[in-house]
Amino acid sequence: MPFYFKKGCSFIALSMLLIGSVSIAVKAKTLTIVDQHGRPVELAVIELLQPVKNDKPLQVAVMDQVNKQFEPKLLTIVKGQQVAFPNSDDIRHHVYSFSPIKPFELKLYAGTPKAPLTFEQSGVVVLGCNIHDSMVGYIYVAQSEAHFLTDVQGKVVLPDNTSSYLLWHPEQDKELGERSEHIWPQDNSHSKVEIELVTPAPRNTFGEMFKDSHGN
Amino acid sequence: MSLVARCQKVAIALSVMITVSGCQSTPTSLYHQVGEQAGLERLTDAFINQIGQDKVVFHYFKQTNVSHFRTGFISHMCAVLDGPCQYQGDNMVQIHTGMNISEYDFNHTVDLLIAAMNEVGISHPVQNKVLAKLAPMRRNIIKI
Repeated sequence: MPFYFKKGCSFIALSMLLIGSVSIAVKAKTLTIVDQHGRPVELAVIELLQPVKNDKPLQVAVMDQVNKQFEPKLLTIVKGQQVAFPNSDDIRHHVYSFSPIKPFELKLYAGTPKAPLTFEQSGVVVLGCNIHDSMVGYIYVAQSEAHFLTDVQGKVVLPDNTSSYLLWHPEQDKELGERSEHIWPQDNSHSKVEIELVTPAPRNTFGEMFKDSHGN
Repeated sequence: MSLVARCQKVAIALSVMITVSGCQSTPTSLYHQVGEQAGLERLTDAFINQIGQDKVVFHYFKQTNVSHFRTGFISHMCAVLDGPCQYQGDNMVQIHTGMNISEYDFNHTVDLLIAAMNEVGISHPVQNKVLAKLAPMRRNIIKI
């Protein structure tokens, strides 16, 4: 009987431990981003203002070209990180950035890879393709690993110690690289923030120019 | 006017003509015959419109930057037709690699260019000379 009792005790102790760890995981803050019509905003970048020390070596991130689109459309990296630009299409691309933190151009012919580029400064880089103007991509270069993306429901779970953060979205009605600063409302585990989005300007493509003849 | 003076005048006039033609185009160049820069711009705009209205080859161009295509096409035609341009864009192989353009689609695009040349009033003899200049590029464009 003492044996069973002991076993029962350790079982309870283990359960308590598990509950404890679960409650730590649950103890976080949820942020929801909506647009001016109340619709959830996916792919908003949230960057915490408390810096996080990073000991891990930085992997080479990838911005691929697939079916005449950037893949992913938005890549988030940490400053100092490298980005490779493969070309999974059979045709050539000519990728460029005019963004002040990293202006560059890369002629990507099928089957001839270029060396990865290093992004030393934090901020926003907008990517285009000289040949295919329908291609638009973004690289968000964060100060540290403490950055997050909203999901399709416009939600993102943030660490419990979040006190202030930067918010950015590619289609925000602001200067493209501008990030708005927000303070987390005290004693709240949820917060909802509305941002104004604009429809992106039409692209300089045959598809756009002759859409009346072909539809979309 | 003395003979010497007259000769000098003729010589100056000749050298001016040569200089001018060196900067622009020889009066007999195809570039000149299609109307030089302005003529090529009209032709290229007509060609863009032909492609834009077309159902067969439009898909190749759908996501293409119109200004990039326009600038490159004008500059390339200017160079090919012996105009005063140096084409600095990608070559025909680089541009068309991976598109796997069929003979049918290639020929159809040539028809669109002919329609554009008709539209801007380029005479048939000049059209033939233009097409003869472009014809050798065919092998650098199709099925690659």
